[in-house]
Amino acid sequence: MLEEKLSYFINESKKLKESDFEKVTRIAVIGSFTLNGLAETLQVKCAKSNIFSHIFSGGYNRYNEEILNSNSDLYSFNPEICFLILDTRTILEDLFYSTYDVTENDRRIFVNKKFEEISNLIKFYTNKSKSKIIFSNFVPPTYSSYGIFESKIEYGLQEMIHDLNQKLSNEFKNDPLTFLYNFNGFVTNHGLNTVFDYRQYYLGDVKISLEKIPYLANELMGYVKPILGINKKCIVLDLDNTLWGGIIGEDGFNGIKLGHNDPIGKSFIEFQKHLLSLHKRGIILAVNSKNNYEDAMKVIKEHPNMILREENFACLKINWNDKSRNLREISQEVNIGLDSIVFFDDDKVNRDFIISVLPEVLTVEMPKDPSQYVPTLLELTDFNVLKITEEDKSRGKMYREQRKRTELEKSTNDFDEYLKQLNIKLFIKNADEFTIPRISQLTLKTNQFNLTTKRYQEEDIRNFSQDDKKIIGCARVEDKFGDNGITGVFIVDKNNKEWIIDTFLLSCRIIGRGIEQGIINYIISLAKKQNVSKLTANFIPTKKNQPAESFLPSFGFKKLNDQWVYQIENHIDSTTSHLHISKEE
Amino acid sequence: MTSKLYEILSQVFDIDISLINDQSSPETIENWDSFHGLALIDALEMEFNIQFSISEITDVKTVADIKKHLKNHSIEI
Repeated sequence: MLEEKLSYFINESKKLKESDFEKVTRIAVIGSFTLNGLAETLQVKCAKSNIFSHIFSGGYNRYNEEILNSNSDLYSFNPEICFLILDTRTILEDLFYSTYDVTENDRRIFVNKKFEEISNLIKFYTNKSKSKIIFSNFVPPTYSSYGIFESKIEYGLQEMIHDLNQKLSNEFKNDPLTFLYNFNGFVTNHGLNTVFDYRQYYLGDVKISLEKIPYLANELMGYVKPILGINKKCIVLDLDNTLWGGIIGEDGFNGIKLGHNDPIGKSFIEFQKHLLSLHKRGIILAVNSKNNYEDAMKVIKEHPNMILREENFACLKINWNDKSRNLREISQEVNIGLDSIVFFDDDKVNRDFIISVLPEVLTVEMPKDPSQYVPTLLELTDFNVLKITEEDKSRGKMYREQRKRTELEKSTNDFDEYLKQLNIKLFIKNADEFTIPRISQLTLKTNQFNLTTKRYQEEDIRNFSQDDKKIIGCARVEDKFGDNGITGVFIVDKNNKEWIIDTFLLSCRIIGRGIEQGIINYIISLAKKQNVSKLTANFIPTKKNQPAESFLPSFGFKKLNDQWVYQIENHIDSTTSHLHISKEE
Repeated sequence: MTSKLYEILSQVFDIDISLINDQSSPETIENWDSFHGLALIDALEMEFNIQFSISEITDVKTVADIKKHLKNHSIEI
């Protein structure tokens, strides 16, 4: 995807007004060289995702002081996200040019020293700020004065940088507050000759060319989006000329291009392979195609070269209906917002229509050339998540099971009968090392059945689990068709005779089966044992959590001023008989 | 061609095109600092498909100088 000129972003950033935006964030960008223009570009890119970002731009090469001085402007700015961009020349100092003036041992000592310095810098920052820092790795110089003999030298220049990168990667792999950005990969993609412009370096110590700043900003948005919880969860795909070459209704089963012996067919197979690997780590796939259902399903089920099969799709809208209607139905059936969907359709008329009618959907500007479908898909930064959990990897299976539940529901006459046949088991679990990532993930992304929409990072959940004044737990739900996984979270503040619900949320796919009542009943049973007399809840309305609003009064909470209160002494356990609840240790 | 150059100057420095003339310089245009100067070079190079040398870049005091360098690259303004 071609980016605009840097001056476009600089001018656009001046027009942004915080009051126009719902979401606001604070981002710091600090580094070892001139990064002018990056701040403005990030602001405009954030705006395109409906976020207003306040940006702190570090002083020229002042990153050490800014981080190590507890009273620095960086800390008073209090960023939600900090990007630390360092470069090889600055880190290596003279050794960049006169690497072999010192012994191998000296080179090793030097790299270890630099590793310690950078490591300590990052740890100091995360300890002080308690917020996320994304730091770039280093680009190994491809030139060496030793030429081809470089590879025969022990711990030469290139090895030094690879080693530094590896040490940093290992040190912070398990630290949830830090991410190592593969700047080296960025340079590989764009080519060092276009990323590094000697003239800009000599004129202004600019080490990432101005032309490439917007591309870099795009990559950094890959971190901003998941940290702010606005990543996309689902890819909706057209079929003809999107998943295979040609039109099934016209070219027939044997006429469509989906083969290994044909360059066009290969483009589509490769595209499907990448989509499948995204699906396997938790991205939902669905189909939105104007076609005869039987013709299209025959390809999906029976074509030997088809990579994606029926079981990989959570929803298949193959009909002659309006594609925007199909997208709305997919959004409802899969239970995700339209703004969580990325739409691929080769037909520009269809795309323009969806862009105008459903602007919340990210409609990808697909190139005309199918050989470019894969690069277009791989460039998207919208699917990043901070952690990929086992829940994510089994999501495809869960949607398959959900389709079976829907079929059962359609076949039973009575909802209670359906629930009974589902045989639901609800397991309440503590917050521990296994469940903490999933609990945090649910608070970050659950928008619909969420009473207070408080967002918590893993560290927050870990802290709560160690706090005596808080109860934090999650619910795993199983039924006849399979394991829904951990799909409910509750956080309660203990305040003597009154317990206050800080967080109560359920994944939308398990709403309406009595589970929400079961969890509240469980909380009340705990409260009763500790002689607590009342349970208080707050409902903080948002654009998306209307489904949760009526739950409190329907359970029996009464409105008192701005809060909902439940008197425990009058409580009768109302858990429906079809639900089996147990506590897992 | 003058208007194309002035268009680019107007966009990069974010000022009205009527405020630009051949005598315009970093002294007369507020946003014309070293960083915007680099952005200007980028924009001109992309537009006219040329590459300026570092000597040419450091030899610019006014818009007239830019025209002179463009002419040396066969871009008639």
